[in-house]
Order: sequence, then structure tokens, then C-alpha cells
Amino acid sequence: MLLKNYFLKNNGINIDTNYFIPKFCPGNGKGLKFIQAKTLEKGGIAMFTRLSDINRLFNAMDFFRNRLDSLYSDVDWAYTPGLKWSMEDRFPKTNLYEDGDLFEIRAELPGIGKEYLNVKIKGNYLEISGTRKSTTPEKYSIHRTERDITSFTRSFTLPADVDSEKAKATLENGILSLTLPKSEAAKPKQIKIA
Amino acid sequence: MSNKTDMVKAGEKNIEKTRTLEAVLPSVDIYESEEEILLFADMPGVLKEDLKVNIDNGTLSLSGIRKLQPRGAARWEEFGDVEYRRNFSVPQTINVEKVYAELKDGVLKLHLPKSEAAKPRLIQINAA
Repeated sequence: MLLKNYFLKNNGINIDTNYFIPKFCPGNGKGLKFIQAKTLEKGGIAMFTRLSDINRLFNAMDFFRNRLDSLYSDVDWAYTPGLKWSMEDRFPKTNLYEDGDLFEIRAELPGIGKEYLNVKIKGNYLEISGTRKSTTPEKYSIHRTERDITSFTRSFTLPADVDSEKAKATLENGILSLTLPKSEAAKPKQIKIA
Repeated sequence: MSNKTDMVKAGEKNIEKTRTLEAVLPSVDIYESEEEILLFADMPGVLKEDLKVNIDNGTLSLSGIRKLQPRGAARWEEFGDVEYRRNFSVPQTINVEKVYAELKDGVLKLHLPKSEAAKPRLIQINAA
């Protein structure tokens, strides 16, 4: 809370000044002391002299969080959201790359044949929809079904208009790649310096 | 004063960055019939060469590495390079010699046939 208030204050937001600010004082042996904010009102500046330490502190917290996450690997962490491919959100994950004159969209679509996929483009609007069919074989008993069978629709507004005539789509190893050249008006142009 | 600069430098020196490939659990479906156990695993973007299926001492381990070749600058990125990794215990009745795998549309299909001895058998009763 203290730190939060301190940053709020520095961003020009008025808050109660009866709190204490931590200040790094490497000289006095303790390293850190708390100064009442009131005393700093008149031009006093409390600065973290070692901001890198704070960064490292947070990095360490991330590290421990990752460690804790991987603790579950022995248990069944397939059901932990975010750790697996899923259509829980009702749409697949995508990446958008921009490379000069074109955009490339990639989407994770495992187990979806091209006959079950639809891609629509108009101007800067793109829509990908599809259905994943069940692969459950007959006369088999089921032990586990984590792979969802759903249909989805995801639409995007691209950063610029694309030429739908020249768009290309490939489906490889469960990844759909759409190459979308920008329309003439949206292409970057080199300007000569007179 | 010299003390202080030392401290600042200590922070800069310690570049505690280790870039490890994120391990992700693939979603699986497991089915069983009298003949075999059938496993499906979602591994979008994994190439055949980067996929390893290993059965050792009753443990089946799957490992598939996805290497995406990004193109240009990423505007947004919701998935990246990962390692799909998961282990299963398999019963001793699996005939390891005859296990075979297929990879299609980013889905691994693994057939684990049961050994002859484990298959249910209809016993004929002879009338004396």
C-alpha cells in the first residue's frame, strides 16, 4: 500500500500524506528507513537509489511463481486453465505479425480439417470460424476427454485494410497461416527527400 | 561513496536471465478397446521431427517441441514456442514393439496395442 500511494503521489494524484515512505539509506547500516511523507512535502525527494534491486525482487517472485506452477506437474495440472490448448474461451489463440506490405495471422487449430474451417475477409475485418469434430472411435471405452469438441468464431479488426483477392491461407500441422497483403492505400510508401 | 557504486554495479552484473522453453501439457483423449489403448494429443505446430514418444519401464513420455518462425514484427502474440510434455503410466500389458503413432493436423494419435496374453479370450467349454 505504501508503495502504491507513493507512486500515485508522484503521478500528481493527491492523497493523504500521513503515510511513511521507504527510503534506501545504504549508509546507516539498516539499508532502509521509513520517512513520513509530510517531511518530504517541501521539495524532498525519496528515490530508490537501487531500483534494480526492486526489479530483481519482482523477478525472484516470478521465478517462485513458475516453480510453484510446475509443482503441479506431478499432479494433474491438465485442468489448470491457461496451461493447455483449449477453446474454453470459445476461440483459438492467434498471433499477428506485420511484415512490411503484409500481415500474417496464425491460429492454433489442432485437429480441424480444412473442410471445417471458414475464413472471411472484408476490408480490415477478418473472421475465422470452424468446428472441431469428435474423434471418439466406436466400440472404445473412454478414459479421458480433455480435448474439446466445439465450434468457434473469432473476428478481428486488422490494423489496416487488406487485399482480399491476394490473401492466401495454409493449414499445416494444426496451425492456420493467413498471408494478407495490405491494400494499395495502406502500403507503406517511401518518401523522397527533395 | 565507493561503497555505493559497488552496490549499483552488483545489480547490473547479476543478469539472472535463463530462457527456458515453456513446458505445456497437451490435452489428451484416451480410449480403450479390447485390442488397444488409443491416445490423442493436441500438439499444434509440432513437426514430426520434433516429436518424441518414448516408452520406458511402464512410463510413456510424450515430448513435442514447437518452433514457430515468426515473420516480421509481432503485433500480438498469444502463443509462442513451447514444449508439449506429458507422462503417463502404461500397463505392462502393452505390446511395446507394436506401438505406432500418427501425426495429423497437429494431433498425435498413438496406438498402444495390448499383448496377446492380455486380450480377453473366449474359453470354450468342452462337454465331457
